[in-house]
Amino acid sequence: MLQMDEVQKIYRTDLVQTYALRSLSLRVAEGEFVAVTGPSGSGKTTFLNIAGLLETFDGGRYQLDGEDVSRLSDTARSRLRNIKIGFIFQSFNLIPDLDVYDNVDVPLRYRGMDGGERRRRILAALERVGLASRLRHLPSQLSGGQQQRVAIARALAGSPRILFADEPTGNLDSLMAREVMGMLEEINAQGTTIVMVTHDAELARRVHRNIHIMDGQVSDLRQPLAA
Amino acid sequence: MIGYYFRLGFHQLRRAPVLTLLIVLTLAVGVAASMSTLTVLYVMSGDPIPQKSERLLTPQINNYPVDGGPQDGNLPTLLSWTDVRNLREDGRGQRRSGLYGISGILYPERDGLKNFFVDGVAVDADFFAMMDAPFREGRGWSAAEDSAEARVAVLGTQLARKLFGEGPAVGQEVRVDEQRYRVVGVLDRFSPVPKFYRLDGSSRAGAGEDELFIPLSTAIAIEKDVDGTVSCFQQTGPGFQGRLASECVWLRYWVELGSASERSDYEAYLQAYVAEQKTQGRLPRADARAIARDVREWLVEVGVVDDDVRLQFWLAFGFLFVCLVNTVGLLLAKFTARAADVGVRRALGATRGQIFLQYLSEAAALGLAGSVVGIAGVFGLLRLLASQSPDLEAYAQMDAVMLVTTVLVSVLAAILAGLLPTWRATRVLPAVQLKTQ
Repeated sequence: MLQMDEVQKIYRTDLVQTYALRSLSLRVAEGEFVAVTGPSGSGKTTFLNIAGLLETFDGGRYQLDGEDVSRLSDTARSRLRNIKIGFIFQSFNLIPDLDVYDNVDVPLRYRGMDGGERRRRILAALERVGLASRLRHLPSQLSGGQQQRVAIARALAGSPRILFADEPTGNLDSLMAREVMGMLEEINAQGTTIVMVTHDAELARRVHRNIHIMDGQVSDLRQPLAA
Repeated sequence: MIGYYFRLGFHQLRRAPVLTLLIVLTLAVGVAASMSTLTVLYVMSGDPIPQKSERLLTPQINNYPVDGGPQDGNLPTLLSWTDVRNLREDGRGQRRSGLYGISGILYPERDGLKNFFVDGVAVDADFFAMMDAPFREGRGWSAAEDSAEARVAVLGTQLARKLFGEGPAVGQEVRVDEQRYRVVGVLDRFSPVPKFYRLDGSSRAGAGEDELFIPLSTAIAIEKDVDGTVSCFQQTGPGFQGRLASECVWLRYWVELGSASERSDYEAYLQAYVAEQKTQGRLPRADARAIARDVREWLVEVGVVDDDVRLQFWLAFGFLFVCLVNTVGLLLAKFTARAADVGVRRALGATRGQIFLQYLSEAAALGLAGSVVGIAGVFGLLRLLASQSPDLEAYAQMDAVMLVTTVLVSVLAAILAGLLPTWRATRVLPAVQLKTQ
């Protein structure tokens, strides 16, 4: 599903160049649920941004779902993001002045779906996360856990092939965090590949595989941590 | 998708309401200033009788004396009675009418109505058909009544209402100065703008309806004095008869041709007329000539749109430009504050083009809101202009075309002002924005 070979990312200023990723190579198979761990500044988020086609990279090769995305145009990367990728962010990143329904609608609009199909998908996704009764609520009227569930519904509505989650429980209390994690496991069980960046050892233990990143490189490929 | 972008655009108007209000007001002020002057220019330079403006000609004849009058080659904008009489008698063209401005005191017979001053024009019978003047009641007078110097009159709508209320005016009599006229017709809002048939270059003269029309032959017979410009460049005999016999210019003359292609024949006729008059000892200048202008050429000749108006127009559009520059700054502030929104949308698959269209649609929505306020401003400014002089009142009128143009200008201006801020919005790096959330 995801294959990176020798991927490099360098941030340059006039005086310094910083290697965010140094020859990072990894593979994520279809249907896997992978946790990406590592200390702050290790390059986890840069990896996730590149994997999610939000950032370009300077060297190496990246194949997503069998397609080489190394030299795609900005527009082509946007289209791929829209069709194949779902994102879940730590701070939810809902659009504050759109209600729940319209927030979930956003990626579907960019895919050019007709109204009926969009409505069907939005309602199904919100049903799945248990928020079908909150269609016209604004994000500010929801709890953190509910907002993250809306974000999950938004990611799911487009039926993505792969889901990237960046500290999805980082802003939630432990109860909500467990609930969201359970939801992600359920989504993965239904066939969606998930790559999750996390600091949370407990969450990392619950997934199929951990990828540890240190200094912009994969330092260890391990099975889930033993409890 | 554009519908979705506009929905988002209108939705965003409510967000940051102070900034939105500032943008809308800035646009509205610029639009109001520019569109009010454009409206005046548009009305001034409009074709008041488009269906036949190419077939309606007014001649100009150089009858200046050798040592008097302008020496710049320009022709008088008015004609002498001698020329008008001759042209009428020659009978060229499908229809024809001489005319001059008249006025007088009207003595109403209706109870409670005091004597008042009326403005009017002395014309020939053909005038009404020639100008496509609509009748609410009755008709114009006949050629026979012209010949008979009949005491008949056609009234403007307002005057007829004032004198006779909603009752019939035809058949009634009106007394103006010492003459009584039998009303044969009432016009139905006949007020071409500009009032081209009377323009003589001495003023913009365009306000309102003429109230009273009487036969030119009658006006001449009763020696009705002219209310308008009279230019004489040499000594004349005494009184009205002296003026009739002189080379003073004070009348207009209009001829309607069957088709615009007959114009060259008519111009040839005018040249022959000048040559013939020279043989009779008139038109003494060596370069004496006659030309004919159609309605649009005539409006240019008499300078309906003068340099002042043009200057005001350019100043107003300069002001709109200044407003646009300010709008660019305000939009930059508004859109920059929404970088996170762009970041999220880009992450969810929006292309730069889609973000560009969305934000440009929002700018257009602001332009639409600006046009609503701007239109109110245009009406206010036009009312202000109209109150400055009766001449301007006729031009300070907004029609559907200008209303639509105002909306378009406002939206276009907003889109123009939105180009840079929108382009900046598309350059937002989603990864950076998502991280800073």
